Amino acid sequence: MKDQLTALEAAAARAAAEANGELDLQQVRVRFLGKKGELTAIMKMMGALPAEQRPIVGALANEVKDRLEGLFNDRLESLRAAELQRRLAAERVDVTLPGRRLRQGSKHPVTQVTEEIVTIFASLGFGVAEGPEVEHDFYNFEALNIPRDHPARDMQDTFYVSEDVVLRTHTSPVQVRTMLKQAPPVRVVAPGTVYRRDSDITHSPMFHQIEGFLVDRHVTFGDLKGILTTFINEYFGAGTGVRFRPSFFPFTEPSAEVDIQCVICGGDGCRVCKNSGWLEILGSGMIDPEVFRAVGYDPEVYTGFAFGMGIERIAMLKYGVNDLRLFYENDLRFLRQF
Amino acid sequence: MKVTLNWLKEYVEFDLLPEVLAHRLTMAGLEVDAMEKLGDGLDSVIVARLDDVRPHPDADRLTLCTVATGSGIEQVVCGATNHRAGDLVALAQVGTELPGGLKIKKSKIRGQESCGMLCSLTELGLAASSEGILILPPGLELGVPVFAALGLKDVRFELGLTPNRPDCLSVVGVAREVCAMAGSPLKLPQPALAESGPPAAGRTSVTIEDADLCPRYAARLIEGVRIGPSPEWMVRRLETVGMRSINNVVDVTNFVMMELGHPLHAFDFSYLRGRRIVVRRARDGDRFVTLDGQERLLAGSDLVICDGEGPVALAGIMGGENSEVRPETVDILLESAYFNPSAIRRTSKRLGLHTESSHRFERGADVEMVPLALDRAAALIVELAGGQIAAGMVDAYPATLPKRQLTISAQRTSKLLGMDVDAGEIHKVLNSIGLTCDFILDRRDGALTVDVPHFRPDIEREIDLIEEVARLLGYDRIPVTMPVSSLSSQPLPRHLQLERRLCDEMASLGFAEVVNYSFVSAGSVERLGLAADDPRRRTVQLLNPLTEEQAVMRTTLVPSLLDTAARNIAYRTEDLALFELRPVFQPVPGEELPRESLRLTALLSGRREPLGWAQQSAGCDFFDIKGTVEELLECLNIGDVRWPSEHGESFYHPGKSCAVEAGSVRLGTLGEIHPEVQRVFDLPQPVYLLDLDAEALFAAAGKHRSFRPLSRYPDVERDSAFLIDEAVSAQQVLDTLSQVRLKDLESIVLFDVYRGTSLPPGKKSLAIRARYRALDRTLTDEIVQGLHGKLVQALQKSLGAELR
Repeated sequence: MKDQLTALEAAAARAAAEANGELDLQQVRVRFLGKKGELTAIMKMMGALPAEQRPIVGALANEVKDRLEGLFNDRLESLRAAELQRRLAAERVDVTLPGRRLRQGSKHPVTQVTEEIVTIFASLGFGVAEGPEVEHDFYNFEALNIPRDHPARDMQDTFYVSEDVVLRTHTSPVQVRTMLKQAPPVRVVAPGTVYRRDSDITHSPMFHQIEGFLVDRHVTFGDLKGILTTFINEYFGAGTGVRFRPSFFPFTEPSAEVDIQCVICGGDGCRVCKNSGWLEILGSGMIDPEVFRAVGYDPEVYTGFAFGMGIERIAMLKYGVNDLRLFYENDLRFLRQF
Repeated sequence: MKVTLNWLKEYVEFDLLPEVLAHRLTMAGLEVDAMEKLGDGLDSVIVARLDDVRPHPDADRLTLCTVATGSGIEQVVCGATNHRAGDLVALAQVGTELPGGLKIKKSKIRGQESCGMLCSLTELGLAASSEGILILPPGLELGVPVFAALGLKDVRFELGLTPNRPDCLSVVGVAREVCAMAGSPLKLPQPALAESGPPAAGRTSVTIEDADLCPRYAARLIEGVRIGPSPEWMVRRLETVGMRSINNVVDVTNFVMMELGHPLHAFDFSYLRGRRIVVRRARDGDRFVTLDGQERLLAGSDLVICDGEGPVALAGIMGGENSEVRPETVDILLESAYFNPSAIRRTSKRLGLHTESSHRFERGADVEMVPLALDRAAALIVELAGGQIAAGMVDAYPATLPKRQLTISAQRTSKLLGMDVDAGEIHKVLNSIGLTCDFILDRRDGALTVDVPHFRPDIEREIDLIEEVARLLGYDRIPVTMPVSSLSSQPLPRHLQLERRLCDEMASLGFAEVVNYSFVSAGSVERLGLAADDPRRRTVQLLNPLTEEQAVMRTTLVPSLLDTAARNIAYRTEDLALFELRPVFQPVPGEELPRESLRLTALLSGRREPLGWAQQSAGCDFFDIKGTVEELLECLNIGDVRWPSEHGESFYHPGKSCAVEAGSVRLGTLGEIHPEVQRVFDLPQPVYLLDLDAEALFAAAGKHRSFRPLSRYPDVERDSAFLIDEAVSAQQVLDTLSQVRLKDLESIVLFDVYRGTSLPPGKKSLAIRARYRALDRTLTDEIVQGLHGKLVQALQKSLGAELR
């Protein structure tokens, strides 16, 4: 019987090695180890052995069974591995074919720049305010210290809806509306659409601005410089040169035009900065006491600063866009670049 | 405003490089827009003599010139017509690069050699326009650089002045600023006046009837002048600051205006009826011809200068044709006056007549400059045109305009600027621009009184003085600090948060945001075929639009978006997904301001997916735009949605459009645009539109989401297909199913719609997949069978559906 077992083991090992598939191997396993398999058949004959030999042969039979189980499992593993290899080899794709893309959407560059600027000012503690685009002359001009018959009205060519109603020429009326609603301290930015009666390569009859202002006790011109310098370093990169130079706006006094070092040439002089090395990017100043009077703030108690900048101007500098009109032509070839 | 370095130096001594001066002017608030070195790099443009001028043998309009350069003879081809043999001209020699960028090379023009170019003023950068080539005055040495020979080496600064600085609309005014930089005194011109004629008094007079509009009017009589061309220096000086020479008398008035900032006017005295001047308001409806030949209709608010009978000048704006100085003029009445700024501005605006003179008067001239400007001009006229100045100035100045006196506190200045400034410093800087200051000794905040001269009408309050101090000390000196302010949280208002979310969602759904002008043509809504009583036909109209295309504020975003689509398709971008999230403007009866409400309008057109080897090539359809709306509603957490097919919008295909409502609130409409609208907008392909009221969306948006627990038990799915009447809508099916209200029904998906000849006529097949799952146990087949049976029964009973 011992010999029979040895022969069976050798035959099973051979059959397993010859099996060329999982199914095949399964049949081999059934043939040798199954309930009606060859090993069982041999085991059944054990009863015919003398009693003292039975445990020895039984133990041997179990050893053979264990070894065969191990053998079959190993063979199964290697068959599976080989099968997987075959499958993987057959399943190649041309990875250089372009991927399946979704349609790509985008926000208008004006929206993107506005959100970026709002986010920076939000981190400095500024809230967001809004106002109407069709506006009373009072909020757009009178309350901002720009009376009728004042040459300062020439600074902004105005679209009129009626004698007393205009398309706002700047976002500054939001200043007035906010201050009329809210007592100091106020710290707000106001993005929005504005309109001026002007149209050429550098002027659009409609464009976008963001206004910001801060009113409290003890606000100084130094603070104005601080907030705007921080903003510029955040937006245009740390270390961007900034200069403040005197200017005039009817609603601020002292007023300052803010220039940054040219982002194109780094200040060496180029076409964009007209060889000056500087780019004008925003207007600012300490809020004029007349404005405080118009909104009922006590100019003896409160001081504040205000600033405003053109969104398109900043977008043009940031992305190197050379024609303002592209922002409103809405050519997808343009919009998709942002 | 243009000034030159040489001219400035006549009134102030300074030693600054042009670049440094430009920088310092800019940093003092007089922004230098451009700086131009006249004659820089033009030493190779030399004085030359035309020895011979003859026609070009092969060109009618060209001449062949033999030019003596002092060191040789050259041949030059010239296209001008104003040159003669013997003239001295400006020869740009080979190798010169002219200010316009033109490089002079040796060349052949129609077969004739040309060694250089004879230049015009424009080509030399000396005038904006000029006729013919420059003919130099006789007597110049040949071969000498032209700019040196004419004393024209100079630097021109173009200043972009702010409207608060009328004082700098003159060379002297700019010089005053330079004084502050250089620490040197201002040297005003001191006219040497010979009043050699008989007294003016008795022969002419000035009467001011409306002193509120004209506080001061002075005049001088100059008799026996000879009108003629101005001398070279005068012509050049005016040209370098951008003015054209007219004749000697007019040039003097312009020169003095540029020099002192005070506009003057010269009348031909012989045409002044009654030989006198009356300053008064015009009479409504008066007509008057200004010296530009235009007839002007006057209003009662206009100030006019009259003679004994009627208007001879529009005060401060332009003289009249009837009294203008002509070649034969002999006697002159020279006007120097001060007019009320608002009055000049009103008239100038109303007539659309903006002149150098009105520009200065409406910003505020200097009433004290009246006599000096008059004397300076009178002396120059005699110098240039001869004649005699009548003795005595006629100076009507009924009430002296008071000078402003202000106080400035060093403490308040320091507090506002955020740096320490003491009274001594303030005194010094204000003095440097001609403001007289006195310390107020008993005030402990270091205060000063300041006398504000009339040439600074912009300084009205202490704050204006503080600005002067800041400006003159330099904004650079103010330290950079951060405000000390109490902390407070200022969250973005809800509607702005939602607006941002909507914008983000549209972009993430593959739509590109567009921004169109808020104004459109009045006919814009016509193209949509809106009903006659549609409120969107009532628009906010602009009184002064730039073009008819931008005449009214839009009441709908649809036309602009369709135009955007058409434009893109024309550029061969045919697969479009666009949206616009902007306000529309609806007039409200009885209100001055329109209602501005935010709308979201979007469109899809072309392929559903971008062209690609693995992409579907199908075009979008109604269900793409509907899916977009569904995504938006989901994103804003809006439930209870209906899609009524009756919506009242005429610009949609009636069979492929619907409204969308949440609760009973209309959120907007969507669908394929009407083929007629598609044609009107030149759209070569179908377009699917959504047009939503963003504010209604925000109002309907769910405030917050609450969590629904997840089941850990297995689900059971059941598919059923039904035969159902064509007339029954999917909505009816879904409504019927949802009314059954089964607790353990997790979801129902309508996953197939089939129509075909295998079905009975008038029927369609709808297939649903219901997924059942309980939170607390495994559902048995039996239970699911029972639940599903209820759904089937409901459809059978309510809608006559047959299970297939």
